[in-house]
Amino acid sequence: MIRLVLLKELVDHWRDLRSVAGSLVLVVLGPLLLFGMFQIVQNLEKERPLEVPVVGAEQAPHLIQHLVANGVHVLPPPADPEARVRKGDADMVLVIDDHYAERYKASQLAHVRLIVDDSRNESHKNVRRVERILLGYTQGLGALRLMARGVSPQVAAPLALEELDLATPQKLAANLLSMVPLFLMLAALVGGMNLAIDSTAGERERGSLEPLLLNPVSRRSLVVGKWLATALASTVVALLTLVGMMLTIQQLPLERLGMKIALGPREAGLIVAALLPLTLFGAAVQMLIATFARSFKEAQTYLGLLNLVPMVPSMFLMMGSTQNEWWMYPLPTLAQVTVVVSVLRGDLVPGWQLLVIALSSLLYSALCVAAIERLLRRERIIFGR
Amino acid sequence: MIEIDGLEKRYGSVHAVQGVSFRAEDGKVTGLLGPNGAGKTTTLRMLSSLVQPDAGRALVDGIDVQRQPQQALRRLGMLPDSRGLYPRLTAREHLAYFGGLQGLPGEEIEQRARELAQLLDMTELLDRRVAGFSQGERTKVAIARALVHGPPNIVLDEATNGLDVMSTRAMRTVIRKLADSGCCVLFSSHVMQEVSALCDRIVIFARGKVVSDATPAELRARTGEDNLENAFVNIIGSDAGLE
Repeated sequence: MIRLVLLKELVDHWRDLRSVAGSLVLVVLGPLLLFGMFQIVQNLEKERPLEVPVVGAEQAPHLIQHLVANGVHVLPPPADPEARVRKGDADMVLVIDDHYAERYKASQLAHVRLIVDDSRNESHKNVRRVERILLGYTQGLGALRLMARGVSPQVAAPLALEELDLATPQKLAANLLSMVPLFLMLAALVGGMNLAIDSTAGERERGSLEPLLLNPVSRRSLVVGKWLATALASTVVALLTLVGMMLTIQQLPLERLGMKIALGPREAGLIVAALLPLTLFGAAVQMLIATFARSFKEAQTYLGLLNLVPMVPSMFLMMGSTQNEWWMYPLPTLAQVTVVVSVLRGDLVPGWQLLVIALSSLLYSALCVAAIERLLRRERIIFGR
Repeated sequence: MIEIDGLEKRYGSVHAVQGVSFRAEDGKVTGLLGPNGAGKTTTLRMLSSLVQPDAGRALVDGIDVQRQPQQALRRLGMLPDSRGLYPRLTAREHLAYFGGLQGLPGEEIEQRARELAQLLDMTELLDRRVAGFSQGERTKVAIARALVHGPPNIVLDEATNGLDVMSTRAMRTVIRKLADSGCCVLFSSHVMQEVSALCDRIVIFARGKVVSDATPAELRARTGEDNLENAFVNIIGSDAGLE
């Protein structure tokens, strides 16, 4: 009986071309989005060439040496430095004071001027780099002068400031990886959503629930058949999305960003093992909600909101918590994100984690199925009053 | 045989069904007549096990519907109030699904599909998806679906609703045939013409109670009215809700 119900629901769903096509949009969209975001990250990596026109370079050969050694392309002086910066032709222009050479030799305060346009965001990064290089030069030189006079440079440097930039492309790319589980879960939920609604709220709305319940078949067989059909549809869409993601990740130049992502058959197998329990549980929850809803439309509204749930753990993980704790595994969606990200990082996923995920999801699914069974005995649910 | 024995159902302050009892014999067409809202559909839902009665019981061939719903449903073919179909399935697939749910093997379902298509004059509909069917065609599919397991007891709730004249006449012939073949047919309607033309026995509902249970001839004799229509109005007390 379960198989009969399962087959009927799948045939019925498969013929609903529009909703099948709708769920497949995500299969294409996920990998595309991943690819696009990676391109953006890559563009961040490609820095603007650090070109600095210098006026009076001949005054400070030592300083120029230092600049070149730190990756600065020193350009010949422009005619009107301020105009060039204002127009944006140059990020900045370094002007070395006419008296620089003599003051430098006399260990006096020597002046350099950096002409910048602070309103230009795109030049900020390069300006900061040059400023830091100049600061490094002046600190190093000062230290040398102090040492030459028998004074410890630390006397003049009470603070040792070290800056750690977290917005590196590597870090961003790693965060992008948490999109992979998000899309897989979204695909799993969207893939079965229409079938879940059609076989519960839809069945009642088109008036076929009452005739269906007039057959000598237990409520449980009907519910389990519909549930498995929904889970199967979810699984197919999730698997297609996974394949799409794998192909995309293989195309991405991850090595250039200094990342190593392992996504072979073994990793895919682990991801599927973590994902399957979610498709079962997701299908059961969707059906429970849709059974409770008063109409097809109401069910669509509720399940649309349910689709947002997988975003929560992804955000949670993006916000920084990378510690994997035992309590994450019996929490659907959080468990999947944790496992998928671990797998992609190449970390080990112990078997007990997968077991906890599978058993907890099966338990929740069983509770949902039992609840739907009970609902289908209520007159209000059967006749939609 | 269908026996209804003292059924009661309340919805809040509404006493929808108040101690209803009657019996529908094998080989006969028993009509349930009454205005809309008289309690016919609620009574039939209690008969089909989907609504729990507050008191009383319903028996199908002696099987208590509430105690052994599955056994009772095997012996019952019911066209309920809501008769929705699956728009993306063909008529034949509907019969296959419901026949399977009734536990029939595949060849037997095929056999029944052919017979029912013949009986209901819907052979050319069998392999079309029901999405584009007319009201009459849908009703035929719904009836075939209810009869796919060849039940000895047949309950039709407002079977001719929405049918045109030709289809209604054809339906009457079918109902007669089913009764003549020995089935117990229970037929509910709010259309007097239909019930009087078809039924061997007429059970009249009004305000949740059975107000009359008699053959058409007895009805005429009891009310002293020659015309059945006047007899009904006489019994119910008004003609509100009847056609």
